[in-house]
Amino acid sequence: MSKMLQIEIYRYDPEKDAEPYMQAFEVPLEKMGMKLLDVLNYIKWHLDGTLTYRRSCGEGVCGSDGMNINGVNGLACITAIEGLKQPIKVRPLPSMEVIRDLVVDTTHFFDQYRQIKPWLQSKQPTPEHERLQTPDERAELDGSYECIMCGCCTTSCPSWWWNGDRFMGPAVLLQADRWIKDSRDEATGERLDQLEDAFKLYRCHQIMNCMEACPKGLNPTAAINHIKRTLLNRKS
Amino acid sequence: MVKKTHDLGSAHSGFKDWYWQRLSAVVLAVLLPGVFILLWSVYIGALDQFGLLDWLDSFVSRLLHTLLIVALIVHAYMGLKVMIEDYVHTGLRVVLIALMLVMMSLFGMWWLALIWAWGG
Ligand code: SF4
Ligand code: SF4
Ligand code: FES
Repeated sequence: MSKMLQIEIYRYDPEKDAEPYMQAFEVPLEKMGMKLLDVLNYIKWHLDGTLTYRRSCGEGVCGSDGMNINGVNGLACITAIEGLKQPIKVRPLPSMEVIRDLVVDTTHFFDQYRQIKPWLQSKQPTPEHERLQTPDERAELDGSYECIMCGCCTTSCPSWWWNGDRFMGPAVLLQADRWIKDSRDEATGERLDQLEDAFKLYRCHQIMNCMEACPKGLNPTAAINHIKRTLLNRKS
Repeated sequence: MVKKTHDLGSAHSGFKDWYWQRLSAVVLAVLLPGVFILLWSVYIGALDQFGLLDWLDSFVSRLLHTLLIVALIVHAYMGLKVMIEDYVHTGLRVVLIALMLVMMSLFGMWWLALIWAWGG
C-alpha cells in the first residue's frame, strides 16, 4: 500500500450548489516527482469523475491549469507535490467568476489582452522573407515572450482585484511591453498612447505579487516599469 | 469581476499624476530632513527659540518652506486620490476627491499666509 496524501479541493457547480465547499480526498502517492496535476487526474479518473478543471499540455506551456495552490497561484502541472503542506488546498484563481470547480471565466482577461493588439503592426509592405532582427534586438524580448497567459499574476494582483475593469493587469501589460520593445513593430507610439492612463497602467502600485506568482519566473513589475520609463523618456 | 470591458480609451492623465507624485517625493526627501535637523538642534540645545525664528525668517527659508508645503500637499493629494480610487467605486469617489482638494488647498493657503505674513 503506497503512502496517501491529503488534498482538499474547491467544488462549486453554480447550477446545483447554493454555496461553494471544500471536498477532501485521499490519493495514493504513486510515483516520485508526482505533480499536482497527476493528483487531480487521479481523482477525476478513479474517485470522482465530476471534478472539473482545465489542462492540456501537462508541461507548463499552454497556461490552462492556473489555480490557487495552498494560497499561492501556480500551474498544477509543474507544481511538485513534495514541499506542499498537507492537506493541500486547491482553489480556483482568485477574483475570476467560477464556471465550475477550478474552471474560471477568463473572458474579461482575454478581452483586455485583445485590447492591446498583441500582434505585429507594421506599415512596411510585407517583405518577401522574414522580418529580420539582430541578435540584440531579439534578446530584448527575453523575459516577455515566454509568458503563456496563464493569468496567475493578474489574478494575484490587488490592483486588478479592485479596479480590474480598467487596470490592464500584469499579464497584459507584460505583453504590451513585449510589443513596445519589439524592433519590428511600428505602432509603438499608439501602444504608448493607449496605456497612458491613470487606471490602465498607473494603477500598478509595485506590490510585486505578480512576480512572485509567475510560474515561468517572469517579472511583470519590471515590464510595467519599463513602460513607465518609456513614457517618461517620451515626455522629457 | 466584470466580464466585458467598455474600453473608454486613454485619459492621458496617468503620466502627469505619476510624474508629480515622484517629483514631490523627491522634494520632500530633500527638504524634510532639514526640518528635522532644525528641530533636533533645538532639542539638543544648539539652537534657542530666537535662533530658530531667525532661521525661519530668512527669505531663503521662506522660499524653501513654501516649496516644502506645496510638495507636501501635492504628494498627499496624489497619494490619497489613488487610495480613494482604489477602494471607493461609486459616485462618492468624485465627491470625496473634490472635497479633499478643496480642504487641502485651504490648508495650503493658510499655511502659506503664515509663512509670508510672519514677522514681515
Ligand atoms: S506589481 Fe503591479 S501589476 Fe504586479 S501585483 Fe503589484 S500592482 Fe499588480
Ligand atoms: S507573466 Fe507569468 S504568471 Fe503572468 S500570465 Fe505570463 S506566464 Fe502567467
Ligand atoms: S497543463 Fe499546460 S500549463 Fe499546465
